[in-house]
Amino acid sequence: MRWQLRAVPCMESTETMPAAAIIIRSLTKVYGSLTALDHFDLEVVQGSIFGLLGPNGAGKTTLIRILTTLMRQSSGTAVIEGFDSLRDGREIRRRIGVVSQENSLDRYLTARENLELHARLHGLAKRQYQPRIDHLLELMGLSGRQKDFPDTFSGGMQRRLVIARALVHQPQVLFLDEPTTGLDPQSRRAVWEYIRSLAGSMTIFLTTHYLEEAEQLCDRIAIMDHGRLIALGSTQELKDRLSGATVYEIEFAGQSADQYARLLADMSCVIGISRAERSVTVTLECWECLSEIVTALNGAAIRRISLKERTLEDVFISLTGEKVRE
Amino acid sequence: MILRGTLAIWQRDMLILRRSIFSELLAVVAYPLTMYLAFGIGMQSYIGLVDGTPYGLFIAPGLITMTAVNAAYNESVWSLWFHRRVQFTIESYRVTPISVSEIVIAKICTGFTHGIIKGVAVGVVIFAITPFRFPLEHLFYYLLFLIPASAFFSCAGIISGTVMDKPETIGKVEAVLVMPLIFMSGLFFPLSSYPTDVIPWVKLLPTTALFEGARRALVAGEVQSVYLLQVVLSALFTFIAAVVIFRRKMSE
Ligand SMILES: Nc1ncnc2c1ncn2[C@@H]1O[C@H](COP(=O)(O)OP(=O)(O)O)[C@@H](O)[C@H]1O
Ligand SMILES: [Mg+2]
Repeated sequence: MRWQLRAVPCMESTETMPAAAIIIRSLTKVYGSLTALDHFDLEVVQGSIFGLLGPNGAGKTTLIRILTTLMRQSSGTAVIEGFDSLRDGREIRRRIGVVSQENSLDRYLTARENLELHARLHGLAKRQYQPRIDHLLELMGLSGRQKDFPDTFSGGMQRRLVIARALVHQPQVLFLDEPTTGLDPQSRRAVWEYIRSLAGSMTIFLTTHYLEEAEQLCDRIAIMDHGRLIALGSTQELKDRLSGATVYEIEFAGQSADQYARLLADMSCVIGISRAERSVTVTLECWECLSEIVTALNGAAIRRISLKERTLEDVFISLTGEKVRE
Repeated sequence: MILRGTLAIWQRDMLILRRSIFSELLAVVAYPLTMYLAFGIGMQSYIGLVDGTPYGLFIAPGLITMTAVNAAYNESVWSLWFHRRVQFTIESYRVTPISVSEIVIAKICTGFTHGIIKGVAVGVVIFAITPFRFPLEHLFYYLLFLIPASAFFSCAGIISGTVMDKPETIGKVEAVLVMPLIFMSGLFFPLSSYPTDVIPWVKLLPTTALFEGARRALVAGEVQSVYLLQVVLSALFTFIAAVVIFRRKMSE
Protein backbone atom coordinates (compact mmCIF):
# COMPACT_ATOMS: atom_id res chain seq x y z
CA MET A 1 0.00 0.00 0.00
CA ARG A 2 1.70 3.16 -1.12
CA TRP A 3 0.15 5.48 1.42
CA GLN A 4 1.75 3.57 4.22
CA LEU A 5 5.26 4.64 5.13
CA ARG A 6 7.83 1.93 5.19
CA ALA A 7 8.57 0.63 8.64
CA VAL A 8 12.17 1.70 9.12
CA PRO A 9 14.03 1.13 12.39
CA CYS A 10 14.62 4.49 14.16
CA MET A 11 18.24 5.20 13.43
CA GLU A 12 18.58 3.67 10.00
CA SER A 13 17.93 6.75 7.93
CA THR A 14 20.19 6.84 4.90
CA GLU A 15 21.32 9.58 2.52
CA THR A 16 18.59 8.93 0.00
CA MET A 17 15.81 9.13 2.56
CA PRO A 18 15.19 12.45 4.28
CA ALA A 19 15.78 12.20 8.02
CA ALA A 20 12.75 11.81 10.24
CA ALA A 21 11.93 14.63 12.63
CA ILE A 22 9.38 12.53 14.49
CA ILE A 23 9.26 8.77 14.84
CA ILE A 24 6.37 7.21 16.70
CA ARG A 25 6.27 3.50 17.37
CA SER A 26 3.30 1.65 18.78
CA LEU A 27 2.44 4.61 20.98
CA THR A 28 -0.38 3.88 23.42
CA LYS A 29 -2.05 6.05 26.03
CA VAL A 30 -4.71 4.74 28.36
CA TYR A 31 -6.84 6.98 30.60
CA GLY A 32 -8.46 4.60 33.07
CA SER A 33 -10.57 2.36 30.85
CA LEU A 34 -10.34 4.61 27.78
CA THR A 35 -7.65 3.96 25.20
CA ALA A 36 -6.99 7.42 23.75
CA LEU A 37 -4.05 6.26 21.63
CA ASP A 38 -3.88 2.73 20.38
CA HIS A 39 -0.55 1.41 19.07
CA PHE A 40 -0.01 4.50 16.97
CA ASP A 41 2.79 4.44 14.37
CA LEU A 42 3.96 7.44 12.40
CA GLU A 43 6.98 9.10 10.89
CA VAL A 44 7.31 12.73 9.95
CA VAL A 45 10.02 13.82 7.57
CA GLN A 46 12.18 16.83 8.46
CA GLY A 47 11.12 20.10 6.89
CA SER A 48 7.62 19.00 5.94
CA ILE A 49 4.24 20.29 7.02
CA PHE A 50 2.43 17.34 8.43
CA GLY A 51 -1.27 17.37 9.24
CA LEU A 52 -2.98 15.09 11.71
CA LEU A 53 -6.64 15.09 10.88
CA GLY A 54 -9.30 13.69 13.11
CA PRO A 55 -12.64 14.51 14.69
CA ASN A 56 -13.01 15.71 18.27
CA GLY A 57 -11.91 13.08 20.76
CA ALA A 58 -9.81 11.23 18.17
CA GLY A 59 -6.69 11.54 20.36
CA LYS A 60 -4.86 14.37 18.59
CA THR A 61 -4.18 16.43 21.69
CA THR A 62 -3.13 13.34 23.60
CA LEU A 63 -0.56 12.59 20.92
CA ILE A 64 0.77 16.16 20.87
CA ARG A 65 1.01 16.21 24.66
CA ILE A 66 3.14 13.09 24.60
CA LEU A 67 5.35 14.38 21.79
CA THR A 68 5.89 17.69 23.61
CA THR A 69 6.78 15.83 26.86
CA LEU A 70 3.79 17.21 28.78
CA MET A 71 2.51 13.71 29.33
CA ARG A 72 3.95 10.21 29.49
CA GLN A 73 2.70 7.45 27.27
CA SER A 74 1.44 4.16 28.67
CA SER A 75 3.66 2.24 26.23
CA GLY A 76 5.50 2.59 22.94
CA THR A 77 8.14 5.12 21.96
CA ALA A 78 8.27 8.61 20.53
CA VAL A 79 11.53 10.02 19.18
CA ILE A 80 11.81 13.69 18.26
CA GLU A 81 14.92 14.89 16.41
CA GLY A 82 16.66 11.76 17.65
CA PHE A 83 15.68 12.21 21.31
CA ASP A 84 13.48 9.86 23.26
CA SER A 85 10.42 11.52 24.79
CA LEU A 86 10.74 9.67 28.09
CA ARG A 87 14.49 10.03 28.62
CA ASP A 88 15.51 13.28 26.96
CA GLY A 89 12.60 15.63 27.68
CA ARG A 90 14.79 18.67 28.17
CA GLU A 91 16.70 18.10 24.91
CA ILE A 92 13.41 17.76 23.05
CA ARG A 93 11.98 20.93 24.62
CA ARG A 94 15.05 22.88 23.52
CA ARG A 95 14.19 22.01 19.93
CA ILE A 96 10.43 22.32 19.78
CA GLY A 97 7.91 25.13 19.70
CA VAL A 98 4.42 24.42 20.94
CA VAL A 99 1.11 26.09 20.16
CA SER A 100 -1.32 24.34 22.45
CA GLN A 101 -5.04 24.04 21.92
CA GLU A 102 -5.75 26.67 24.58
CA ASN A 103 -3.90 29.92 24.08
CA SER A 104 -2.00 29.89 27.41
CA LEU A 105 -0.97 33.54 27.06
CA ASP A 106 -0.14 35.49 30.19
CA ARG A 107 -2.78 38.21 30.32
CA TYR A 108 -0.83 40.20 32.91
CA LEU A 109 2.11 40.59 30.55
CA THR A 110 2.13 42.64 27.38
CA ALA A 111 2.49 40.88 24.05
CA ARG A 112 6.18 41.63 23.98
CA GLU A 113 6.73 40.61 27.60
CA ASN A 114 5.06 37.29 26.85
CA LEU A 115 7.70 36.65 24.20
CA GLU A 116 10.52 37.91 26.41
CA LEU A 117 9.62 35.59 29.27
CA HIS A 118 9.55 32.67 26.90
CA ALA A 119 12.93 33.62 25.46
CA ARG A 120 14.39 33.76 28.96
CA LEU A 121 12.97 30.35 29.82
CA HIS A 122 14.86 29.13 26.77
CA GLY A 123 18.03 30.64 28.16
CA LEU A 124 18.44 33.27 25.48
CA ALA A 125 20.39 36.43 26.30
CA LYS A 126 18.74 39.81 25.89
CA ARG A 127 20.86 40.81 22.90
CA GLN A 128 19.86 37.56 21.18
CA TYR A 129 16.16 37.72 21.82
CA GLN A 130 15.39 41.41 21.34
CA PRO A 131 16.04 41.51 17.56
CA ARG A 132 14.43 38.11 17.18
CA ILE A 133 11.27 39.31 18.93
CA ASP A 134 11.18 42.46 16.78
CA HIS A 135 11.35 40.26 13.73
CA LEU A 136 8.63 37.86 14.89
CA LEU A 137 6.24 40.63 15.89
CA GLU A 138 6.76 42.09 12.44
CA LEU A 139 6.25 38.71 10.78
CA MET A 140 3.00 38.04 12.66
CA GLY A 141 1.71 41.56 12.07
CA LEU A 142 1.72 42.47 15.77
CA SER A 143 4.42 45.13 15.99
CA GLY A 144 1.94 47.92 16.53
CA ARG A 145 0.30 46.11 19.43
CA GLN A 146 3.36 44.80 21.24
CA LYS A 147 2.80 46.95 24.34
CA ASP A 148 -0.82 45.89 24.70
CA PHE A 149 -2.13 43.07 26.85
CA PRO A 150 -3.28 39.99 24.97
CA ASP A 151 -6.82 40.01 26.36
CA THR A 152 -7.42 43.12 24.26
CA PHE A 153 -6.53 41.12 21.13
CA SER A 154 -8.89 39.39 18.72
CA GLY A 155 -8.83 35.60 18.61
CA GLY A 156 -6.71 35.59 15.49
CA MET A 157 -4.17 38.00 16.95
CA GLN A 158 -3.89 35.96 20.14
CA ARG A 159 -3.28 32.87 18.08
CA ARG A 160 -0.56 34.63 16.09
CA LEU A 161 1.04 35.80 19.31
CA VAL A 162 1.13 32.22 20.59
CA ILE A 163 2.72 31.15 17.31
CA ALA A 164 5.29 33.94 17.63
CA ARG A 165 6.01 32.79 21.18
CA ALA A 166 6.58 29.25 19.97
CA LEU A 167 9.11 30.54 17.42
CA VAL A 168 11.22 32.78 19.68
CA HIS A 169 13.95 30.17 20.17
CA GLN A 170 13.98 29.07 16.52
CA PRO A 171 12.69 25.54 17.04
CA GLN A 172 13.40 22.69 14.67
CA VAL A 173 9.92 21.25 15.10
CA LEU A 174 6.77 23.32 15.56
CA PHE A 175 3.69 21.66 17.04
CA LEU A 176 0.32 23.33 16.48
CA ASP A 177 -2.76 21.84 18.11
CA GLU A 178 -5.83 22.99 16.20
CA PRO A 179 -4.29 26.36 15.35
CA THR A 180 -7.44 27.85 13.84
CA THR A 181 -10.28 26.25 15.77
CA GLY A 182 -12.75 28.91 16.82
CA LEU A 183 -11.45 31.57 14.43
CA ASP A 184 -13.57 33.26 11.81
CA PRO A 185 -12.75 32.36 8.19
CA GLN A 186 -10.78 35.53 7.59
CA SER A 187 -8.53 35.15 10.64
CA ARG A 188 -8.15 31.49 9.77
CA ARG A 189 -6.78 32.39 6.36
CA ALA A 190 -4.41 34.89 7.94
CA VAL A 191 -3.07 32.21 10.30
CA TRP A 192 -2.66 29.86 7.34
CA GLU A 193 -0.62 32.50 5.56
CA TYR A 194 1.71 32.84 8.54
CA ILE A 195 2.10 29.10 8.88
CA ARG A 196 2.78 28.77 5.18
CA SER A 197 5.46 31.43 5.39
CA LEU A 198 7.35 29.14 7.78
CA ALA A 199 7.31 26.18 5.42
CA GLY A 200 10.68 24.64 4.76
CA SER A 201 12.49 26.35 7.62
CA MET A 202 11.32 23.76 10.14
CA THR A 203 9.19 20.68 10.52
CA ILE A 204 5.59 21.60 11.23
CA PHE A 205 3.22 19.14 12.87
CA LEU A 206 -0.33 20.37 13.11
CA THR A 207 -3.62 18.84 14.12
CA THR A 208 -6.96 19.91 12.81
CA HIS A 209 -10.49 18.75 12.33
CA TYR A 210 -10.91 21.00 9.31
CA LEU A 211 -10.39 19.06 6.11
CA GLU A 212 -9.79 22.24 4.19
CA GLU A 213 -7.02 23.25 6.55
CA ALA A 214 -5.18 19.98 6.08
CA GLU A 215 -5.65 20.19 2.36
CA GLN A 216 -4.46 23.80 2.13
CA LEU A 217 -1.42 23.54 4.34
CA CYS A 218 -0.05 20.05 4.53
CA ASP A 219 2.37 18.04 2.45
CA ARG A 220 1.26 14.86 4.11
CA ILE A 221 -1.80 14.00 6.07
CA ALA A 222 -2.60 11.31 8.59
CA ILE A 223 -6.21 10.59 9.39
CA MET A 224 -6.96 9.22 12.82
CA ASP A 225 -10.00 8.31 14.85
CA HIS A 226 -10.50 6.54 18.18
CA GLY A 227 -6.75 6.63 18.81
CA ARG A 228 -5.91 4.74 15.66
CA LEU A 229 -4.22 5.71 12.44
CA ILE A 230 -6.67 5.18 9.60
CA ALA A 231 -4.81 6.50 6.59
CA LEU A 232 -1.61 8.26 5.69
CA GLY A 233 -0.39 9.94 2.54
CA SER A 234 -0.37 13.13 0.53
CA THR A 235 -3.72 14.79 -0.13
CA GLN A 236 -3.67 13.43 -3.66
CA GLU A 237 -2.76 9.91 -2.55
CA LEU A 238 -5.59 9.90 -0.07
CA LYS A 239 -8.05 11.02 -2.70
CA ASP A 240 -6.78 8.46 -5.21
CA ARG A 241 -7.24 5.88 -2.58
CA LEU A 242 -11.00 6.24 -2.88
CA SER A 243 -10.93 3.34 -5.34
CA GLY A 244 -10.12 4.00 -9.00
CA ALA A 245 -13.64 5.24 -9.52
CA THR A 246 -14.18 8.65 -11.02
CA VAL A 247 -17.23 10.83 -10.73
CA TYR A 248 -18.64 12.98 -13.52
CA GLU A 249 -21.43 15.42 -13.47
CA ILE A 250 -23.41 15.62 -16.71
CA GLU A 251 -25.56 18.68 -17.13
CA PHE A 252 -28.41 18.60 -19.65
CA ALA A 253 -30.14 21.38 -21.43
CA GLY A 254 -33.94 21.19 -21.31
CA GLN A 255 -35.99 18.51 -19.56
CA SER A 256 -34.16 15.41 -20.73
CA ALA A 257 -32.28 14.54 -17.50
CA ASP A 258 -34.85 11.96 -16.39
CA GLN A 259 -34.83 10.03 -19.56
CA TYR A 260 -31.05 9.78 -19.75
CA ALA A 261 -30.72 8.99 -16.08
CA ARG A 262 -32.67 5.77 -16.68
CA LEU A 263 -30.54 4.95 -19.66
CA LEU A 264 -27.30 5.53 -17.76
CA ALA A 265 -28.43 3.57 -14.72
CA ASP A 266 -28.76 0.46 -16.88
CA MET A 267 -25.19 0.66 -18.19
CA SER A 268 -22.76 -1.83 -16.71
CA CYS A 269 -19.85 0.59 -16.30
CA VAL A 270 -21.91 2.95 -14.16
CA ILE A 271 -21.55 1.93 -10.54
CA GLY A 272 -23.42 4.79 -8.96
CA ILE A 273 -25.85 7.42 -10.05
CA SER A 274 -27.67 10.33 -8.53
CA ARG A 275 -29.67 13.04 -10.17
CA ALA A 276 -30.58 16.61 -9.55
CA GLU A 277 -33.06 18.72 -11.52
CA ARG A 278 -30.95 19.25 -14.61
CA SER A 279 -27.97 17.07 -14.04
CA VAL A 280 -26.93 13.52 -13.38
CA THR A 281 -23.92 12.54 -11.38
CA VAL A 282 -22.44 9.20 -12.34
CA THR A 283 -19.71 7.22 -10.67
CA LEU A 284 -17.79 5.23 -13.26
CA GLU A 285 -15.72 2.14 -12.73
CA CYS A 286 -12.79 3.81 -14.46
CA TRP A 287 -12.26 6.92 -16.52
CA GLU A 288 -12.03 4.88 -19.76
CA CYS A 289 -15.78 4.29 -19.47
CA LEU A 290 -16.44 7.88 -20.27
CA SER A 291 -16.40 7.34 -24.04
CA GLU A 292 -19.04 4.63 -23.69
CA ILE A 293 -21.22 7.12 -21.84
CA VAL A 294 -20.74 9.77 -24.46
CA THR A 295 -21.69 7.29 -27.17
CA ALA A 296 -24.82 6.24 -25.30
CA LEU A 297 -25.84 9.84 -24.87
CA ASN A 298 -25.49 10.48 -28.59
CA GLY A 299 -27.94 13.18 -29.63
CA ALA A 300 -28.74 14.35 -26.10
CA ALA A 301 -28.66 18.07 -25.37
CA ILE A 302 -25.62 18.05 -23.13
CA ARG A 303 -24.45 21.38 -21.79
CA ARG A 304 -21.45 20.21 -19.84
CA ILE A 305 -19.64 17.15 -18.58
CA SER A 306 -17.37 17.85 -15.65
CA LEU A 307 -15.05 15.74 -13.54
CA LYS A 308 -15.94 16.06 -9.88
CA GLU A 309 -12.97 16.49 -7.52
CA ARG A 310 -13.12 14.20 -4.53
CA THR A 311 -12.65 16.00 -1.27
CA LEU A 312 -10.96 14.88 1.90
CA GLU A 313 -14.43 14.81 3.36
CA ASP A 314 -15.25 12.01 0.89
CA VAL A 315 -12.09 10.23 1.96
CA PHE A 316 -13.02 10.58 5.58
CA ILE A 317 -16.54 9.30 5.05
CA SER A 318 -15.34 6.36 3.00
CA LEU A 319 -12.80 5.44 5.70
CA THR A 320 -14.89 5.88 8.80
CA GLY A 321 -18.41 5.68 7.47
CA GLU A 322 -19.23 8.99 9.14
CA LYS A 323 -18.77 12.69 8.74
CA VAL A 324 -16.16 14.57 10.69
CA ARG A 325 -17.55 15.36 14.14
CA GLU A 326 -17.12 19.02 14.95
CA MET B 1 22.25 27.29 35.18
CA ILE B 2 19.77 25.14 37.02
CA LEU B 3 17.69 27.97 38.51
CA ARG B 4 17.46 30.08 35.36
CA GLY B 5 13.81 29.18 34.98
CA THR B 6 13.09 29.93 38.62
CA LEU B 7 14.63 33.37 38.28
CA ALA B 8 12.75 34.20 35.07
CA ILE B 9 9.37 33.18 36.48
CA TRP B 10 9.97 34.87 39.85
CA GLN B 11 10.97 38.08 38.05
CA ARG B 12 7.80 37.87 36.00
CA ASP B 13 5.78 37.62 39.21
CA MET B 14 7.68 40.54 40.74
CA LEU B 15 6.97 42.66 37.68
CA ILE B 16 3.25 42.03 38.15
CA LEU B 17 3.54 42.82 41.87
CA ARG B 18 5.37 46.09 41.13
CA ARG B 19 2.66 47.14 38.72
CA SER B 20 -0.05 46.88 41.35
CA ILE B 21 1.96 47.43 44.50
CA PHE B 22 -0.10 50.34 45.85
CA SER B 23 -3.50 48.72 45.53
CA GLU B 24 -2.05 45.43 46.85
CA LEU B 25 -0.57 47.10 49.89
CA LEU B 26 -3.66 49.16 50.56
CA ALA B 27 -5.82 46.06 50.47
CA VAL B 28 -3.47 44.05 52.61
CA VAL B 29 -2.87 46.72 55.26
CA ALA B 30 -6.56 47.55 55.68
CA TYR B 31 -7.54 44.30 57.42
CA PRO B 32 -4.90 44.01 60.16
CA LEU B 33 -5.07 47.73 60.71
CA THR B 34 -8.82 47.53 61.30
CA MET B 35 -8.22 44.70 63.75
CA TYR B 36 -5.53 46.64 65.47
CA LEU B 37 -7.71 49.70 65.86
CA ALA B 38 -10.74 47.70 66.95
CA PHE B 39 -9.01 45.38 69.41
CA GLY B 40 -5.68 46.91 70.23
CA ILE B 41 -7.03 50.39 70.85
CA GLY B 42 -10.73 49.78 71.31
CA MET B 43 -10.37 46.92 73.81
CA GLN B 44 -7.12 48.11 75.34
CA SER B 45 -8.72 49.83 78.33
CA TYR B 46 -10.96 46.83 79.10
CA ILE B 47 -8.22 44.23 78.81
CA GLY B 48 -5.23 46.12 80.15
CA LEU B 49 -2.17 43.92 80.50
CA VAL B 50 -1.85 40.40 79.13
CA ASP B 51 1.02 38.48 80.70
CA GLY B 52 2.44 41.86 81.69
CA THR B 53 2.23 43.32 78.20
CA PRO B 54 -0.22 46.05 77.09
CA TYR B 55 -2.88 44.42 74.88
CA GLY B 56 -2.08 46.59 71.87
CA LEU B 57 1.52 45.47 72.02
CA PHE B 58 0.47 41.89 72.71
CA ILE B 59 -1.43 41.54 69.44
CA ALA B 60 0.81 43.68 67.20
CA PRO B 61 3.40 40.97 66.36
CA GLY B 62 0.61 38.48 65.70
CA LEU B 63 -1.11 40.84 63.29
CA ILE B 64 2.10 41.33 61.35
CA THR B 65 2.78 37.61 61.31
CA MET B 66 -0.79 36.89 60.31
CA THR B 67 -0.59 39.33 57.42
CA ALA B 68 2.66 37.85 56.18
CA VAL B 69 1.63 34.21 56.34
CA ASN B 70 -1.82 34.91 54.95
CA ALA B 71 -0.35 36.86 52.06
CA ALA B 72 2.16 34.09 51.35
CA TYR B 73 -0.52 31.41 51.48
CA ASN B 74 -3.02 33.34 49.38
CA GLU B 75 -0.58 34.38 46.72
CA SER B 76 0.68 30.82 46.33
CA VAL B 77 -2.64 29.05 46.33
CA TRP B 78 -4.42 31.41 43.95
CA SER B 79 -1.49 32.01 41.68
CA LEU B 80 -0.83 28.34 41.24
CA TRP B 81 -4.47 27.58 40.65
CA PHE B 82 -4.84 30.46 38.21
CA HIS B 83 -1.73 29.67 36.19
CA ARG B 84 -2.52 25.98 36.15
CA ARG B 85 -6.27 25.94 35.60
CA VAL B 86 -7.27 29.29 34.10
CA GLN B 87 -4.41 30.71 32.13
CA PHE B 88 -2.52 27.46 31.40
CA THR B 89 0.72 29.40 31.76
CA ILE B 90 2.26 26.57 33.80
CA GLU B 91 1.85 24.43 30.71
CA SER B 92 3.54 27.05 28.55
CA TYR B 93 6.48 27.01 31.00
CA ARG B 94 6.59 23.23 30.86
CA VAL B 95 7.29 23.05 27.14
CA THR B 96 10.51 25.04 27.61
CA PRO B 97 13.77 23.39 28.65
CA ILE B 98 13.34 24.12 32.36
CA SER B 99 12.39 21.53 34.95
CA VAL B 100 9.14 21.21 36.84
CA SER B 101 11.06 21.81 40.08
CA GLU B 102 12.28 25.16 38.79
CA ILE B 103 8.67 26.20 38.21
CA VAL B 104 7.42 25.19 41.63
CA ILE B 105 10.40 26.77 43.39
CA ALA B 106 9.73 30.02 41.53
CA LYS B 107 6.14 29.98 42.71
CA ILE B 108 7.22 29.26 46.29
CA CYS B 109 9.64 32.20 46.15
CA THR B 110 6.89 34.47 44.86
CA GLY B 111 4.52 33.57 47.69
CA PHE B 112 7.36 34.03 50.15
CA THR B 113 8.21 37.47 48.77
CA HIS B 114 4.58 38.57 48.93
CA GLY B 115 4.48 37.48 52.57
CA ILE B 116 7.61 39.35 53.57
CA ILE B 117 6.74 42.55 51.70
CA LYS B 118 3.18 42.70 53.00
CA GLY B 119 4.20 41.74 56.53
CA VAL B 120 6.79 44.51 56.56
CA ALA B 121 4.25 47.01 55.21
CA VAL B 122 1.79 46.23 58.00
CA GLY B 123 4.64 46.34 60.52
CA VAL B 124 5.66 49.79 59.37
CA VAL B 125 2.11 51.11 59.58
CA ILE B 126 1.43 49.63 63.02
CA PHE B 127 4.69 50.95 64.40
CA ALA B 128 3.97 54.35 62.93
CA ILE B 129 0.71 54.63 64.89
CA THR B 130 1.77 53.01 68.18
CA PRO B 131 3.97 54.34 70.93
CA PHE B 132 5.82 51.00 71.34
CA ARG B 133 9.47 50.90 70.31
CA PHE B 134 11.86 47.95 70.21
CA PRO B 135 15.60 47.54 70.14
CA LEU B 136 16.81 46.66 66.66
CA GLU B 137 17.91 43.16 67.64
CA HIS B 138 14.33 42.27 68.61
CA LEU B 139 13.36 42.98 65.06
CA PHE B 140 16.11 40.69 63.86
CA TYR B 141 14.93 37.89 66.17
CA TYR B 142 11.41 38.43 64.93
CA LEU B 143 12.55 38.02 61.33
CA LEU B 144 14.11 34.69 62.31
CA PHE B 145 10.52 33.54 62.72
CA LEU B 146 8.87 35.51 59.97
CA ILE B 147 11.14 34.25 57.20
CA PRO B 148 10.62 30.50 57.67
CA ALA B 149 6.96 31.17 58.47
CA SER B 150 6.37 32.90 55.13
CA ALA B 151 8.16 30.06 53.38
CA PHE B 152 6.07 27.52 55.30
CA PHE B 153 2.76 29.16 54.34
CA SER B 154 3.86 29.75 50.77
CA CYS B 155 4.66 26.04 50.43
CA ALA B 156 1.35 25.12 52.06
CA GLY B 157 -0.40 27.37 49.54
CA ILE B 158 1.45 25.70 46.68
CA ILE B 159 0.30 22.30 47.90
CA SER B 160 -3.32 23.49 48.12
CA GLY B 161 -3.16 25.15 44.70
CA THR B 162 -1.68 21.98 43.23
CA VAL B 163 -4.12 19.44 44.59
CA MET B 164 -7.30 21.52 44.43
CA ASP B 165 -8.86 22.08 41.05
CA LYS B 166 -11.95 24.02 42.10
CA PRO B 167 -11.84 27.56 43.47
CA GLU B 168 -14.65 26.84 45.95
CA THR B 169 -12.57 24.05 47.52
CA ILE B 170 -9.75 26.51 47.99
CA GLY B 171 -12.11 28.92 49.74
CA LYS B 172 -13.45 26.18 52.01
CA VAL B 173 -10.01 24.95 53.02
CA GLU B 174 -9.03 28.46 53.90
CA ALA B 175 -12.13 28.96 56.06
CA VAL B 176 -11.96 25.57 57.77
CA LEU B 177 -8.23 25.03 58.13
CA VAL B 178 -6.03 28.04 57.55
CA MET B 179 -7.92 30.78 59.36
CA PRO B 180 -8.71 28.64 62.46
CA LEU B 181 -5.07 27.55 62.62
CA ILE B 182 -4.01 31.18 62.68
CA PHE B 183 -6.66 32.43 65.10
CA MET B 184 -6.47 29.53 67.55
CA SER B 185 -2.72 29.83 67.96
CA GLY B 186 -2.75 32.67 70.45
CA LEU B 187 -2.96 35.60 68.12
CA PHE B 188 -5.49 37.52 70.26
CA PHE B 189 -5.14 35.73 73.59
CA PRO B 190 -2.42 33.98 75.57
CA LEU B 191 -2.21 30.19 75.42
CA SER B 192 -2.90 30.11 79.16
CA SER B 193 -6.53 30.87 78.30
CA TYR B 194 -6.92 27.29 77.05
CA PRO B 195 -7.92 24.52 79.47
CA THR B 196 -4.74 22.97 80.92
CA ASP B 197 -5.14 19.57 79.28
CA VAL B 198 -5.63 21.15 75.84
CA ILE B 199 -2.48 23.29 75.97
CA PRO B 200 0.02 20.49 75.09
CA TRP B 201 -1.99 19.75 71.95
CA VAL B 202 -2.22 23.36 70.92
CA LYS B 203 1.53 23.61 71.39
CA LEU B 204 2.03 20.88 68.83
CA LEU B 205 0.65 23.14 66.11
CA PRO B 206 3.37 24.79 64.06
CA THR B 207 1.26 27.97 64.05
CA THR B 208 1.40 28.11 67.86
CA ALA B 209 5.15 27.87 67.74
CA LEU B 210 5.10 30.63 65.19
CA PHE B 211 2.78 33.12 66.87
CA GLU B 212 4.09 32.50 70.38
CA GLY B 213 7.70 32.44 69.27
CA ALA B 214 7.39 35.52 67.08
CA ARG B 215 5.71 37.51 69.83
CA ARG B 216 8.35 36.63 72.42
CA ALA B 217 11.05 37.51 69.92
CA LEU B 218 9.63 40.92 69.16
CA VAL B 219 8.32 41.92 72.57
CA ALA B 220 10.91 40.39 74.87
CA GLY B 221 13.80 39.80 72.50
CA GLU B 222 14.09 36.12 73.39
CA VAL B 223 14.36 33.34 70.81
CA GLN B 224 12.71 30.13 71.95
CA SER B 225 14.75 27.57 70.07
CA VAL B 226 12.13 24.80 70.27
CA TYR B 227 9.56 27.07 68.67
CA LEU B 228 12.02 28.28 66.07
CA LEU B 229 13.05 24.72 65.24
CA GLN B 230 9.38 23.76 64.90
CA VAL B 231 8.75 26.56 62.39
CA VAL B 232 11.93 25.89 60.41
CA LEU B 233 11.24 22.16 60.23
CA SER B 234 7.65 22.81 59.13
CA ALA B 235 8.97 25.05 56.36
CA LEU B 236 11.47 22.43 55.24
CA PHE B 237 8.93 19.65 55.37
CA THR B 238 6.28 21.56 53.40
CA PHE B 239 8.90 22.69 50.89
CA ILE B 240 9.85 19.10 50.10
CA ALA B 241 6.19 18.08 50.09
CA ALA B 242 5.26 20.96 47.76
CA VAL B 243 7.97 20.08 45.25
CA VAL B 244 7.12 16.36 45.34
CA ILE B 245 3.35 16.90 45.11
CA PHE B 246 3.67 19.42 42.28
CA ARG B 247 6.00 17.14 40.33
CA ARG B 248 3.66 14.22 40.79
CA LYS B 249 0.67 16.27 39.68
CA MET B 250 2.52 17.44 36.58
CA SER B 251 3.46 13.93 35.52
CA GLU B 252 -0.16 12.76 35.62
N1 LIG C 1 -6.91 13.77 31.07
C1 LIG C 1 -7.83 12.94 30.54
N2 LIG C 1 -8.43 12.01 31.30
C2 LIG C 1 -9.34 11.16 30.77
N3 LIG C 1 -9.70 11.13 29.48
C3 LIG C 1 -9.13 12.03 28.66
C4 LIG C 1 -8.16 12.98 29.14
N4 LIG C 1 -7.76 13.75 28.10
C5 LIG C 1 -8.44 13.30 27.03
N5 LIG C 1 -9.27 12.28 27.35
C6 LIG C 1 -10.13 11.52 26.42
O1 LIG C 1 -9.28 10.95 25.44
C7 LIG C 1 -9.88 11.02 24.16
C8 LIG C 1 -8.97 11.77 23.22
O2 LIG C 1 -8.92 13.12 23.63
P1 LIG C 1 -8.04 14.20 22.88
O3 LIG C 1 -6.67 13.68 22.76
O4 LIG C 1 -8.21 15.48 23.61
O5 LIG C 1 -8.74 14.26 21.47
P2 LIG C 1 -8.72 15.40 20.36
O6 LIG C 1 -7.62 16.35 20.69
O7 LIG C 1 -8.48 14.66 19.09
O8 LIG C 1 -10.04 16.06 20.38
C9 LIG C 1 -11.22 11.69 24.37
O9 LIG C 1 -12.20 10.68 24.44
C10 LIG C 1 -11.09 12.41 25.67
O10 LIG C 1 -12.32 12.49 26.33
MG1 LIG D 1 -7.67 18.36 20.95
